[in-house]
Amino acid sequence: MPDATFLDSTELVLNMGPQHPSTHGVLRVILKLDGEKVLGTDCVIGYLHRGVEKIAENRTYVQFNPYVDRMDYVAAVSNSLGYCLAVEKLINVEAPPRAQTVRVILTELNRIASHLLWLGTHALDIGALTPVFYCFREREEILKIFENYCGARLTTHAFRIGGLQYELYEGFEQEVKAFCDMFLPKVAEYEELLTNNRIWVKRLQNIGILTAEECKQYGVTGPVLRAAGVRWDLRKAQPYCGYEKYDFLIPTRQNGDTYDRYLVRMEEMRQSVRIIRQAVEGIPDGPAIAKVPKVLKPPMGEAYVSIEAPKGELGYYIVSDGSTQPYRVRVRPPSFVNLQALDRMVRGALIADVVAVIGTLDIVLGEVDR
Amino acid sequence: MIRAFLKRVFLVDLFEGLRVTFRNQKPKYIYTEQYPAQRPKVAERYRGAPRLNLNPETGEPLCIGCNLCALACPESLIVMTSIRDEKTKRKTMNTFLFDTSRCMFCGLCEEACPSDALELTQDFELATYTREGQIWDRKMMEEGPKPTRYKC
Amino acid sequence: MAEEKPLPPKPAPPKPPATMAVIPWQAELAARLKDRFGDRISELSSYLGQNFAIAQPEAIVEILEWLKSEGDFDYLVDITAVDWPKKPDRFELVYILYSFSRNERVRVKASIPEGFRPQSAAGVHLTANWLEREVFDMFGIEFSGHPDLRRILMPEDWQGYPLRKDYPILQQDEHWVHENVGIESGQ
Repeated sequence: MPDATFLDSTELVLNMGPQHPSTHGVLRVILKLDGEKVLGTDCVIGYLHRGVEKIAENRTYVQFNPYVDRMDYVAAVSNSLGYCLAVEKLINVEAPPRAQTVRVILTELNRIASHLLWLGTHALDIGALTPVFYCFREREEILKIFENYCGARLTTHAFRIGGLQYELYEGFEQEVKAFCDMFLPKVAEYEELLTNNRIWVKRLQNIGILTAEECKQYGVTGPVLRAAGVRWDLRKAQPYCGYEKYDFLIPTRQNGDTYDRYLVRMEEMRQSVRIIRQAVEGIPDGPAIAKVPKVLKPPMGEAYVSIEAPKGELGYYIVSDGSTQPYRVRVRPPSFVNLQALDRMVRGALIADVVAVIGTLDIVLGEVDR
Repeated sequence: MIRAFLKRVFLVDLFEGLRVTFRNQKPKYIYTEQYPAQRPKVAERYRGAPRLNLNPETGEPLCIGCNLCALACPESLIVMTSIRDEKTKRKTMNTFLFDTSRCMFCGLCEEACPSDALELTQDFELATYTREGQIWDRKMMEEGPKPTRYKC
Repeated sequence: MAEEKPLPPKPAPPKPPATMAVIPWQAELAARLKDRFGDRISELSSYLGQNFAIAQPEAIVEILEWLKSEGDFDYLVDITAVDWPKKPDRFELVYILYSFSRNERVRVKASIPEGFRPQSAAGVHLTANWLEREVFDMFGIEFSGHPDLRRILMPEDWQGYPLRKDYPILQQDEHWVHENVGIESGQ
């Protein structure tokens, strides 16, 4: 019989991040380990805290708009859309149909761009080097459309309260259609590279399982929730921007593991292309921006508006005290809430799985820390 | 069962992946930009270095000194003073300071400008050797940045 | 403000000129809430089509529990607070709930004075853990019974609560910045 003290292992505390390449930014995770097994985690966040909510209280409604782009900087258009919708709700203005359609096109393009960045970096974390180049190549096409449309690639500031600032440029429709035609075969290409790849499957299947019940407990939304089998998408549940007009499916899977989340996001990209194709066919004519007073003074009140961002439910809770500046802006960031489930997902797993799980959560630290 | 075994032995999934990789190896798929030698063409609406436009006919500044850009700026980085022209009784811009180090190129100042004087141009090379160099005065705003052009 | 009715023993504050134009929330759920909690819910209103209940701070966790089991509001979207320094009850806690089966949102709000320690909701919804930590970090509201109440976004030994209204935007913990960053000021 071997000596019991020989087998007795001590807990090891390992610090991962904030400069670790697979933490997708400046996330620091303190891991409690027993050998290679994770006993517990503690996330240290806030390295990118810029106090967006405090800034909002010191800016006018219009001036705060560019700041929201800097929270989830890979999906800036979604952030901007959520904020504009929330303020529009407060002042009781609805964007004209043309603006709504263009908003849908741009946010869906942004969803694809966000998922592409996720796919590339996630595959890179797992050890697949090739997809990141292909993903960035396709993402570049989307960024070119953004640049042509509004002059910026990442922090777009594309939407204004009440509609759009910029008219569509000549050839927008053709470029978007050409992108859709080009992109669909590319998704199949990524799937060819990864879906049946033995290493990919072994590294992802049954890793970081989060059941539907746990998802609801932790408030986890977005593809993570859908991979656990809950058919819930705010675009369908509480449609905004005319999403009810478009025919698309909400992809779901049953297992709730990392592999399922990968499949859900791949299918979501296809569905986004489907929405874009429908939207770009019928961009209505008309004004691009509703009549909004130059000095925006929403009446005293409050509103919570949320949209389906690529990462999950992105909500804005704005309190107005009747002045030109918001009294309080609260951002409900999907990444922040989703990250909380990390501890539950990696407990009992191996260190290498932590990397996979952080990747699959698709967090953007700019949004976690705000 | 045997199928799966053979697939595993002959590394089928590996070769499937390699097929995709080789499909993308054509020499015509080259995306590298030879940046300093060939400058990329940015979009027409690109929001880059700010510029104060002059009237092309008279060479007079278009700016009417209304201060709207400074009010619109979320970062309050524009500081301008204006004086009243004794002859024409019009307000004219006197000094203009634009702190590009704090600018996030949101374009709100450009939108606020009633006379198309302030414009965010397609220049994107804004690096300077000092922090103070990032603060542009009126002369710099009218002339625009002069980045080094490399001959390659 | 209309939804800011103080607790009964306190004198009524002078009504500010502008108020939130709320309409009563009339639904089956509202009636059931009123039945169940009676006085502990002071107002059930709706603004811009969004329903909210104003409750006594002591009853919040009980209401969340009841809404979860009876009303099927199984997803706690967000916890946040709003600072109203001029009101007798300085902070307003806001809980945003969503029900997957009803596809409905409801907000539960409560006003608390400074120093009041509301009960933590982490026992009802696990997601409240980090959300309450953030509220503590930003407003200094301590939740009693919270499993792990530490600062989350700001450094652990930071002094002051940034989202309070008496914390100007340029203010910072000079001592902390000096000690840890080695510069005089962050601006």
